[in-house]
Amino acid sequence: MFFQTVITGLSIGSVYALMAVGYSLVFSVLNFSNFAHGAIITLGAYIAWAIMVAHLSVPFLPALLLSIAGAGFLAFLNERIAYSTLRRRRAPSLYLMISAMGVSICLQNLLYATVGAKLYAIPAVFAQDSFVFRDITVSKMDIFAFWFSTLSIAVLHLILTRTKVGMAIRAASRDMEMVSALGVNLDVLVAVLFFIAGGLGGMAGVFMGIKYMVYPSMGWITNKAYIGAVIGGLGSLPGAIIGGLLLGLLEALVSIASIGGTSLSTFRDVFSFGILVALLIVRPTGLFGRTVEEKL
Amino acid sequence: MHRKIPGGEPGIKKGSVMKKTIHFLAIAAVLAVLGCKPSDGKSAAAGQQEPIRIGHSVALTGPSATWGQAEANALKMIVDKINGEGGVLGRKIEVIAHDNRADRLEAVNVAKRLVEQDKVVAIIGPAQSGVANAIREVNNAAKIPVVATTATNPKVTVAEDGKVVPYTFRACFIDPFQGTVAGQFALKDLKAKTAAVLYDVGDDYSQFLGKYFVEAFTKGGGRITANEAFRSGELDFRAQLGKIKTGKPDILFIPTMQKEAALAAKQARDLKIDVPLIGGDGWASPDLIDLAGPAIEGAYFVNIAALEDPAIQDFIKDYRARFNMDPVLPNPLMAYDAMILIVDAIRRAGTTDGEKLKDAIEATRDLQVLTGKLTIDPATHNPLNKPATIQQVKGKDFVYVKTFVTTD
Repeated sequence: MFFQTVITGLSIGSVYALMAVGYSLVFSVLNFSNFAHGAIITLGAYIAWAIMVAHLSVPFLPALLLSIAGAGFLAFLNERIAYSTLRRRRAPSLYLMISAMGVSICLQNLLYATVGAKLYAIPAVFAQDSFVFRDITVSKMDIFAFWFSTLSIAVLHLILTRTKVGMAIRAASRDMEMVSALGVNLDVLVAVLFFIAGGLGGMAGVFMGIKYMVYPSMGWITNKAYIGAVIGGLGSLPGAIIGGLLLGLLEALVSIASIGGTSLSTFRDVFSFGILVALLIVRPTGLFGRTVEEKL
Repeated sequence: MHRKIPGGEPGIKKGSVMKKTIHFLAIAAVLAVLGCKPSDGKSAAAGQQEPIRIGHSVALTGPSATWGQAEANALKMIVDKINGEGGVLGRKIEVIAHDNRADRLEAVNVAKRLVEQDKVVAIIGPAQSGVANAIREVNNAAKIPVVATTATNPKVTVAEDGKVVPYTFRACFIDPFQGTVAGQFALKDLKAKTAAVLYDVGDDYSQFLGKYFVEAFTKGGGRITANEAFRSGELDFRAQLGKIKTGKPDILFIPTMQKEAALAAKQARDLKIDVPLIGGDGWASPDLIDLAGPAIEGAYFVNIAALEDPAIQDFIKDYRARFNMDPVLPNPLMAYDAMILIVDAIRRAGTTDGEKLKDAIEATRDLQVLTGKLTIDPATHNPLNKPATIQQVKGKDFVYVKTFVTTD
């Protein structure tokens, strides 16, 4: 049971990690928590549902890529509409955060109003087959999601280290003013940034939609991603990944634990948010974070 | 930043007086529009009696919407029927429905609106136990009877201290009964000796139904191997299911709504837990099958009524003819029964006064409703002797298995 739980924990954790990376990416450069990330994740899932089930029958892999592109584009639009003006006016992070919350509520209710609150399922991509090894089962979807996410993050790493844009992004995460003074077009930089973050979010949304189901309030799970990002250290990308995986693992282990016969599974969320609070008190930089900044 | 010129610049001053006037007029206009109360039908057209307003607190959107819409449709049918036959006490009846989204907070708003603004004489619904519990204070303070449709948790009509909730009734059976049916079905029909339970700790219905199942199952000689929970809104139960798997139960009882049941079924099958699955009436929405896919094939669940029940075939035919789809049972039947109950009580009481109406409802005996004869137990405000059906998922349908009779 222990190893099965570890697999389960890593599987949930990889979804958290994927979301946390998108989150941390935006935070590292712009220094605010993009609360609209959850809405982008939800929209990624809906795009996949729309083109795979509702209106067309696009096969999985193209649908995944289209959803990633779509979500990235929506994130770019989101930035243009909700954040760019504030950013140009050098608004404090608080205003960006409020704007993000507004976008999140608006998009979620837009979904309620247009598509409706009905639950939708995306048919299983790999049938119900899983790999069985002794008494451990791993579903094929999990393996694919893990592999694809790792690939994407590797690509992200390459972009950040080997391309000019990537270098600019890394520089901007240190000092945005300087980067702008050195002649980098900040608007383009931020647009690329949000496209990448949105794409990662959309990917997470598609995987979640397939593993679980598609419905307008899916985005709440980004609360967990936020915890993962904080555990790993807000602003650090490796930290986000490790934090997300660690959170998933710990949650799964708490779910099967029991103290003196009473199961702790109902305390899962008490535990997750408790860690968040404890960490912010004891080590606000998280595991890999850099400096203590406003943790908005 | 304006430079401050002593005395002010004349141009700006004029502009600001104009601006202020326009602002004032705009605000006044908005207030005037808001202040107008919508016409509530009390137009004193001589001789025209106002209709009897009955409220409907229902989930028209959200995961429970399939049932809610069905309730609303059934009420349309019975309102047309009753008004066509002359109405009640010489007046037409009118249903005022508001969307509670199966949310407790929203339901309180809806109840207040129905009672204070729409001035209804009774409320049909809600359908969810937790939600029905939440509006208790509102309708009891206002002395407006509430007939919950499918809220099966006992606390809805009988408070923790054992006293009956004065103005709340229900049209369906209660969870202790449902849990017993599930437990005895598992023991006798499925010959299970051990069972595991996976329930939702954030939902009154789920928590208590699970508890009653455990009581009935152990009372009948069975053993519970695991009693695991998750919180409402969680999507991944594989950690809990992994633990359940190690106990090797004969069956798995999942007393949740259809969304969580679908996820649990899929994940259980993913983990190669192949035992029969049993659920309660929370499963009975058709999208259970869409959401769960082949994982839910062959699973059983307890329900308040089934499509094949001979007593309701006329209703089913009329519903299909009017709305072009099958009613999502059992809610529309319960809403229909609730309306019959209220209308009959109004007729017997001769008035729509809240207290007298409540007394009349309490005194209901052998009233012919869609699903048989309805007698309200004055001590608990619950119907006496309502049967339960067992259904099974086969392909894309829910198939009627049997009407279950419990043995004590």
